Amino acid sequence: MRDRAFVLMRGPAGAILIALALGSIAMWIAGSDPFEGFSSLLYGALGSPTGIAETLVQTTALLFPALAVTIAFRAGLFNIGAEGQLIIGGLACGAIGAVFSAPAIVAIPILLAAGAAGGAAWGAIAGWLRARFGASEVISTIMLNILAGLLAQYLLTSILRSGGGSGNETGPLPSEAWLPVLLPDSRLTIAILIAAALALALRWMLARTVFGFELRAAGEAPQVARRSGVALERMSIQVMALSGACAGIGGATIVMGVLHRFNVALSPGYGFIAIAVALVGNLDPLYVIVASFGFGILQSGALSMQSVAHVPKDVIAAVEGILVFILAAQRYVLSKAKA
Amino acid sequence: MNDSVALVITLLGLTAIKATPLIYAALGGVIAERAGVINIGLEGMLIAGAFAAVAISYITSNLALATLAGVLAGALCGALLGFAATRWRADQIVAGTGLNLLAQGAAAFALVIVFNQPGASKEVTGFNSLGAWGPDVLVALALVLPFAVHALLYGTVWGLRLRACGENPAAAESAGVDPLRTRMWAVTISGALAGLGGAYLSIGELTLYSDGMIAGRGFIALAAVIFGRWTPLGAFGACLFFGIFSALQFTLQRAGIPSQLMQALPYLAALVAIAGVVGRARAPQADGIPYSRAN
Repeated sequence: MRDRAFVLMRGPAGAILIALALGSIAMWIAGSDPFEGFSSLLYGALGSPTGIAETLVQTTALLFPALAVTIAFRAGLFNIGAEGQLIIGGLACGAIGAVFSAPAIVAIPILLAAGAAGGAAWGAIAGWLRARFGASEVISTIMLNILAGLLAQYLLTSILRSGGGSGNETGPLPSEAWLPVLLPDSRLTIAILIAAALALALRWMLARTVFGFELRAAGEAPQVARRSGVALERMSIQVMALSGACAGIGGATIVMGVLHRFNVALSPGYGFIAIAVALVGNLDPLYVIVASFGFGILQSGALSMQSVAHVPKDVIAAVEGILVFILAAQRYVLSKAKA
Repeated sequence: MNDSVALVITLLGLTAIKATPLIYAALGGVIAERAGVINIGLEGMLIAGAFAAVAISYITSNLALATLAGVLAGALCGALLGFAATRWRADQIVAGTGLNLLAQGAAAFALVIVFNQPGASKEVTGFNSLGAWGPDVLVALALVLPFAVHALLYGTVWGLRLRACGENPAAAESAGVDPLRTRMWAVTISGALAGLGGAYLSIGELTLYSDGMIAGRGFIALAAVIFGRWTPLGAFGACLFFGIFSALQFTLQRAGIPSQLMQALPYLAALVAIAGVVGRARAPQADGIPYSRAN
């Protein structure tokens, strides 16, 4: 606290400013004008209806896993595995969707449920390993991320092999299973409404329900919670399943709304960026919506920054990394995670 | 008969080659974690080392300088993580995750700046320019180093102090050891070793850097640390074990075993190890917990 740099960096706003400043320096080293870089990024992300639509598509893709990370954090669990849960959710949705045909009113809820179930199952493995063996969910979710990708590759090259496919994706979903588009000629679908509704529902659950209260108690004072009758083991399985379900629905909405099939490369690391989104959003589902929009701007504007200002788009990934790094310094979360 | 002997020797050689970058990174992981800092950033440190070695080799064509650059880039990442973990009392897992994102983004960015092309660098001078045995220098070092680290951790006062900081930093401090300084150094050395592993990959095994070439090796090394129960020789054994399957990948694939199953092996082994199914794998007591002085 005495450290002046530390005080300056308190709060997400400070972290964002520092990360953007370092990003500007990187652009300057690259021989580009940082002002031009960021203004072309903003213009690309918000300067046209199609730009805004794409920004909201990225917002949605980040919001689901960010909610997954948030809900686990609030229970004192560190879910690094949103990436893997998103992949398995998308895989379950894509595998069923490719062979299943029904009217939209039936197909869409069923496929979203398949995504939630896939993600929940993958998350619950980590919760169970913790509950049964005391295994750190940090390590298990890291390993499960990679295992999710390998499982998807294996299934795609064996039983899910689509006719003439490259082994990287499932067959296409019938158009009845596509999520309805909100803005014509864009990839913006009702997924964003589902994500926002989920955020509000989670906020309500945390604030108003007994389960939400017990969840927060498990995160903030596990020993007290245990003594007042909260079964921490069962809680860790339930929370990891719920968290995985959030990420899994996210994977399903990418499959049903954006790609219209499952592809192993459906996520450019949404599950990892989601950690930054959740922390910037102060682990409150309502603010996480706002944070997702901010990161959505970065994600969707990066390409136009590259083509207009000739700044390699990867600088955005570096900026996001710096942001996570600084946020780590602001918040010591693991203390809560030690049951 | 001679043929099968030759085959075994080839396979052993291939195992050592595949295990080398894992060994460097895993030894780095062991040193950091025994001092009490969880090193999720090994992947990023390998990336930094691999990229820096190729960039400096491209500019200077000097292998010694290039290798040194890899080591220093890894050490810099380690110092960053160490600084965050000690002075800022940061969450080490979040910081390590951030470091991985940062290294990957920064390397992809710098690739365009230095080589003026995205995706992959140009071909640079590598250890193979010393002769066919050139890369073996780094392989041989990787096979000896685990014993040196073992001797250091268990046979010297420095090692005893380092382990004390990972088990009970408060007790270490009352015995006159500075846990923050020790952890800072341990994570920096950890990064230097991982950086060397990255340099081996880019200018030892290959002669270029490409985006995604580290391909999760940092996480395999992390798995090796856990499977090897946080000891240098255990981690070494785990790396060789994972290396064998990597070396046998094509042979086993022809035998009908899916390649993904073999790639999954290190991660499954780590899951089994942390679940304690085969004996309890116990992390150092104070691993991952920031230490603050009781003033």
